[in-house]
Amino acid sequence: MILLFLTSGLFLGWSLGANDASNVFGSAVGSKMITFRKAAIIASITVILGAVIQGAGASDTLGKLGGVNAIGGSFTLALAAATTVYMMTRISLPVSTTQAIVGAIIGWNLFTGNRTDSGTLSKIVATWITGPLLGAGFAILLYILTTKIKRSAGIHIIKFESYLKTSLVIVGAFGAYSLGANNIANVMGVFVPAFNLEELDLGLFSLSSSQQLFLLGGIAIAIGIITYSKKVMETVGGNIIELTPEAALVVVLAQSIVLFIFSSSALSNLFVRFGLPPIPMVPVSSSQVIVGCVIGIGLYKGARNINFRLLGEIGIGWIVTPVISGLFAFFSLFFMKNIFNVEVGHKITGLNSVPQTITGAADAEMSGIIRYLLLGILIAGTIAILFYYFLDRKKTRELKVSEEKFWKNLKKRQ
Amino acid sequence: MALFARTSKDLIIRIDDFIDNVELGLLVFREGLKSYLDKDREAFNRHLHKVDVLENNADRLQRSIENDMITHSILPQHREEVSRLIDELDEIIDSIKSSLKEIDIEQPDIPESLKKDLISLAETSANAAEELIPAARAYFKAPYTVREKLIKVYYFESETDKISTTIKKHLFQDIKDLELSRKNQLRYIIHNIEKISDLAQKAADLLSGMAIKIMM
Repeated sequence: MILLFLTSGLFLGWSLGANDASNVFGSAVGSKMITFRKAAIIASITVILGAVIQGAGASDTLGKLGGVNAIGGSFTLALAAATTVYMMTRISLPVSTTQAIVGAIIGWNLFTGNRTDSGTLSKIVATWITGPLLGAGFAILLYILTTKIKRSAGIHIIKFESYLKTSLVIVGAFGAYSLGANNIANVMGVFVPAFNLEELDLGLFSLSSSQQLFLLGGIAIAIGIITYSKKVMETVGGNIIELTPEAALVVVLAQSIVLFIFSSSALSNLFVRFGLPPIPMVPVSSSQVIVGCVIGIGLYKGARNINFRLLGEIGIGWIVTPVISGLFAFFSLFFMKNIFNVEVGHKITGLNSVPQTITGAADAEMSGIIRYLLLGILIAGTIAILFYYFLDRKKTRELKVSEEKFWKNLKKRQ
Repeated sequence: MALFARTSKDLIIRIDDFIDNVELGLLVFREGLKSYLDKDREAFNRHLHKVDVLENNADRLQRSIENDMITHSILPQHREEVSRLIDELDEIIDSIKSSLKEIDIEQPDIPESLKKDLISLAETSANAAEELIPAARAYFKAPYTVREKLIKVYYFESETDKISTTIKKHLFQDIKDLELSRKNQLRYIIHNIEKISDLAQKAADLLSGMAIKIMM
């Protein structure tokens, strides 16, 4: 039953991978600098690493907005958010999972009669505005810098492109790592209190209960990237504005900087030390930031080549996503509670705010299932990567042989 | 990362090699034509063989450059134009080869009064193509200097046209003691030499557009 409840979180993870990975590698893939296959492999590995290594820190951020205190509620919210993201992805609009989950949590607050913390909500909404603006600013600055360096250095364009490609892979990997670290809370955060799994010892290191959940969520994101993100990646890279390779790098770098600013407590502390206000530690919508970056470059280059119609569609998506997700969550909670008799949560009064947990005996059984599930997925993933590697090598070798044959035959004829 | 760097380095070397082949081909073409007009058969054959080798090398390099650009997804947004540029440059060396080969096959008897003009025509036509070489190299390193370098290509191309017209007029209007069939044969030789500068101009037009696009 618990595994069934977890499926909605995994579905949300899959939706996040299908949609938000485009924010990291979309520009590179859209401008054809990196093939989708390579981008998907790099993003999948780093997103899992980010989720497992650094995912725990962000998991309590959304909790302040609304403390979902029943597994049935967590399941329903994750399902509502995932369905919303999936629907928006189906029509190729880059939507934000954070927005979807925020909308769903507000829906839960309304349904259970809990008060939505307006301070936290306004902080989150403020980043929806400042994120893209900062992204646009950074993108313009970085673009000017990159083009100046390119012009004054006199580097061969192929060598320059090789540097760009390497940078895109590094920045993209870092971006995907941050995506995993930040957004795994959206995917698995609501389930963490409900699970108490045994520590998984892998020899060199061990995974705690929440890390095992984050690993599962990370894998779901990776599957989303591999199976469904190609279409959205092409939308981000090619449809809003035609991106040059250096613009693609600038877009990813600017976005990574913005994400870093809004998730680095060290930087926030540094601000405070200099007498400046602290930076709010709020999950940033990478979809909004990336569009801001792309618009920034578009404006700098002359706004004529921006596809404003698509931008309008994306803007509508931003408003529609939390509204649809909230409404969907509200009505789903109603059905879950009244038709399926599932406990979806109740009003927090201070004494009864502890979420439902499972007994110790169920945990041991669950640990065993999850252990085998994770090992199976890891083995399958390793086999798939090795298979791809050898297939690629075989193709390169065949091309080389056919080339040699061609020239040999040509020489013979001459 | 190392793979990217190695492939890029190899590709840069091969593109340079390719352009070197075209540049050398132009030098050999001049010398080949001179040796034919000087009736130095041995030197002409040597130059013909050299052009043949250069053209084969250029073909091989062209194919491998295009293959690598596709398989390693290099310069995805400019790949098509770079391939076209290489194609246009290859046309020049192809034209040099076929021009010398036709002379070798047909062995035209060139009147003494035309020799000086023909050398001048070959010089000017080859100059137009030679001026294209630094512009083509500049596209890869300093694209904003390409257009200024192309001015000379257009100048030599129009000079070639003028010289060619003068030679043809002289051939058909002034030289009376030559059969029409031989005049026609010489006209094709002139046309083939002139074609080198026409191809250079065509490549220059392409390069000019490419330079603007890459700077945008």
